[in-house]
Amino acid sequence: MNINKVQNLKNQAISAILEAENENDLERLRVHYLGRKGEITQLIKELPSLDPEARKEAGHLLNDVKRAIEQTLAEAKGDRAAKKVDLEKEWLDVTAPGKKTTLGHLHLITQAIREITDIFEKIGFTRVSHHEVEWDWYAFEGLNMPFNHPARDIWETFFIDNLKNKKYGEGVLTPHTSSGQLREMEHTKPPIRMLNIAKCYRRQSDVSHAPMFYQFEGLVIDKNIAINHLKGTLDYFAKQYFGPDRKTRIRPYHFRFTEPSFEFDVTCIICGGKGCRLCKEGWLELGGSGMVHPLVLKNGGIDPEKYSGFAWGWGVERVFMMKHKIPDIRLLFSGDLKFLNQF
Amino acid sequence: MDILIPDSWLREHLKTKATPRQIAEYLSLCSQSVEKTTKKDSDWLYEIEITTNRPDCFSVYGVARELAAILPQFGIQAKLEEIPENKIRMPEVKNSLPLEVKIEKSSLCPRFTALIFDNLTIKPSPKVVQERLKKSGVRALNNVIDISNYLMLELGQPMHTFDYDKIKGAKMILRESAGGEKLTTLDDTIRALPDGSIIIEDGESRIVDLCGIMGGKNSEVDESTKRVLLFVQTYNPMKIRQTCQKLAFRTEAASRFEKGIDPEGVILAMKKAIDMFRKNCGARVASRLIDIYPKPPKPKKVTLTQEKLNRLMGIKVDLSEAKKILDSLGFQSTINQQPSTITALVPHWRNGDIDIGEDLIEEVARIYGYHNLPSRLPQGQIPQIAKNPLFSWQERVKDMLKYWGFMETYNYSMVGESLLIKVGLNPEEHLKITNPLSEDLVYMRTTLIPSLFEVMAKNQAENEKIRIFELANVYLPTVENKLPEEMPMLTGAINHGGFYDAKGLLEGLFNELAITNVNFSPYQLKKTLYGKLFHPARTAEIMIKKNSLGVIGEIKPSIISKLGIKGKVIVFDLDFNELVKHITNIKVHAPIPRYPAIIEDLAFVVPKRTLVGEMIDEIKKIRGMIVSVALLDSYQNTRTFRITYQSFKKTLTDREVEKVREKVVKSIGKKFEARLKST
Repeated sequence: MNINKVQNLKNQAISAILEAENENDLERLRVHYLGRKGEITQLIKELPSLDPEARKEAGHLLNDVKRAIEQTLAEAKGDRAAKKVDLEKEWLDVTAPGKKTTLGHLHLITQAIREITDIFEKIGFTRVSHHEVEWDWYAFEGLNMPFNHPARDIWETFFIDNLKNKKYGEGVLTPHTSSGQLREMEHTKPPIRMLNIAKCYRRQSDVSHAPMFYQFEGLVIDKNIAINHLKGTLDYFAKQYFGPDRKTRIRPYHFRFTEPSFEFDVTCIICGGKGCRLCKEGWLELGGSGMVHPLVLKNGGIDPEKYSGFAWGWGVERVFMMKHKIPDIRLLFSGDLKFLNQF
Repeated sequence: MDILIPDSWLREHLKTKATPRQIAEYLSLCSQSVEKTTKKDSDWLYEIEITTNRPDCFSVYGVARELAAILPQFGIQAKLEEIPENKIRMPEVKNSLPLEVKIEKSSLCPRFTALIFDNLTIKPSPKVVQERLKKSGVRALNNVIDISNYLMLELGQPMHTFDYDKIKGAKMILRESAGGEKLTTLDDTIRALPDGSIIIEDGESRIVDLCGIMGGKNSEVDESTKRVLLFVQTYNPMKIRQTCQKLAFRTEAASRFEKGIDPEGVILAMKKAIDMFRKNCGARVASRLIDIYPKPPKPKKVTLTQEKLNRLMGIKVDLSEAKKILDSLGFQSTINQQPSTITALVPHWRNGDIDIGEDLIEEVARIYGYHNLPSRLPQGQIPQIAKNPLFSWQERVKDMLKYWGFMETYNYSMVGESLLIKVGLNPEEHLKITNPLSEDLVYMRTTLIPSLFEVMAKNQAENEKIRIFELANVYLPTVENKLPEEMPMLTGAINHGGFYDAKGLLEGLFNELAITNVNFSPYQLKKTLYGKLFHPARTAEIMIKKNSLGVIGEIKPSIISKLGIKGKVIVFDLDFNELVKHITNIKVHAPIPRYPAIIEDLAFVVPKRTLVGEMIDEIKKIRGMIVSVALLDSYQNTRTFRITYQSFKKTLTDREVEKVREKVVKSIGKKFEARLKST
């Protein structure tokens, strides 16, 4: 068998297939080469008459050729089939709703905690957690709020039955995250950059107060920490969280565990600072802050002559309720899926 | 506490051209916060929040004094006017009306002053007094009572007037109440006096005053009053506070007394009162001034170093600048060299809130202007602290559940007794709140499951398929003098699908967190929390080696029907700390096999209640070539497993697979009395 002839036959067949104009041509070519009496078929039939050595070689070759022709034919047919379909005539209503996939929802508080954590982690804060059920010492006494001091009034505190410690006083539900300050100082040496986000509890319930809520507390202690660092840190947060156009300010306030103490304001996110129903002359109060009181540093085992620090503790809900226009904080804890579904 | 101050009254004490808007803004920036400024006729009203440390600002005069220091910092002239009545001399009275005063404990009343007026006529106050009271939110009553209210608002000193003729025996004993005494106060309320309240009794042992809070009805000034006894005192703040708290009753006067009144301000208030009694009531002073003041406070000196001032303010402030500011606030300060410090004599009206150097820094910094300080991030080293892995895993897990269709809920940490009882929990095993807000918020949760039941019940009418979860602490009491254990739990509830749907979710979760060797076994304890809540036959304990991770299972129908939940509820409850311990942080590469796998399905006929999990474990034990075993089908008593054989070294032959298969059949047959189903 002439190998060259076989090779030629293959090339001839492939070019004929590629040039074929319609399906009839293709079918005719198929019969011509691969049909029962086709040229390739004839050659395959001749194989047994060859001597073994030549038979093996020719067999391989013919197989390859046959497969190549079949493949070319198949591709050419597919091409033609595709051309035949008139896409213009097809129709799909793309406006009909898609098949529903089950998507859950993360609670707004989770979302806010993530956002707040991300912002502060970038500037070296580490998230921690401390007790929710805590001794009076950590919640009040150690924070320079003696028993029965009027300053305690703003923290309407829940007490726990039969929980009392000789050294640390009564057991309370933490009315603020500031109770984490002394805990943090007890087990970490400066420099400290703490972010404590936790549940807090106060005995009150109205549209802007729930008996349980969240606060995020920051505490920075290092050498040479000054008021300007408090301003810089909180300003950075406000711009990251509410947008770069926000202006911020601190005002005098009073807390027993910071000296001086401040309220932190940001320009109103609704009116942009012009003044509206929701804000005070264009300013929204975000929460309290201050320079850690030297007595508190001492109570935490830190030398106030060597180190200074600042702290703030703000309501998580307070910062995001404005953003999402939530009318009543208690909705967050209502377990109403119609509400939770929206976020 | 908020106070209302009319602009016109303020300007009687403060000469300034500052506009009301400027006054409001600068007072807020440097001192007390002006919450609201409203126009009232031709006047303005400031609503000011006074912080508890600044009782000296609880008055028109106190606010004017602050503004006199603040406004010049903004380039606006302001001058505090002297109070002309301060120059009044105490009148000499020849035939002084008698009043015998006995104070049982001087700590109850640091300064006691009293004066008697006679010859007075009760009538309405002059118009200006009435108007100022009205604007400040106080009702005008008559010329006598209005004087005490007026001066309380103007100078911050509460006072009280008695009808002198109603004090029997012209005698007063100031003492602590004891043994459950009673008094009808001016508001016609009979009050049971808490022991330890400061009270006054007269010569006939009648109680005539609940000091600092409200006077007695029996000695009140009325239309026929001719002689008035005026009281200007300071009381022990703690005592006043305790009484108010016990009575759950607080007056304007009380909320000033409990924050501390400057005893040095008493005489000024008395002089101004004399003037008003004369002018408004036509009265005459009829007694000598009684002034019992055994221990005047010593002048206080506080020192601040230049170093600390600079360190906390973050800029260099000259001591001369600090001195200027402090002196403008009424301090008398001197600068010392080597070391460089400033020593300030505290004005008597600030005695209560200035104690340490940091207090002086606040004074200097707020008047210097916080807005004038720079704003920058802390410069020091970032602390190197090991992160608590709980937080990041918590967020990962929440994300997974969200994308698997779960809604995250946040529920109160407190629950009510009725809910606990419904689910068979013993309230006594919970931390109990002494002063709960409502009866459904009394006990600290020891499990999140009942809260999820409530969410389920609340939402089932509108949602056919509910998947909810919560990740929160539970509170497990330990002993009385130790804090409870706070344990984070991951708890989910589903009301559709069955046990295996929920189990599949957990398996997915474990897989994603690369937690291996998890074992589900039938939960058999009956008296535990889980035993009470979960279906005895449809609940599994989730174990990793010998550590329990929690449970998964169906809730007993009797429990959910008590909560009004229809259908069935599958719950998983995981100890999140334990879960995190087993998370394999890094997944390790396993070589990818190059030779084809042989997959075959084997069906076994098994006796009743044979555990498929154990069968799979048994098959997996036959190592070598079995790379995976899965349950393909379970029908009646037949369990069909899909077994994958594969070698890393070569293509397996039928013969080789056959040998392994024989081992499988033999071992399963022996252990479970199962036989291979002939096909």
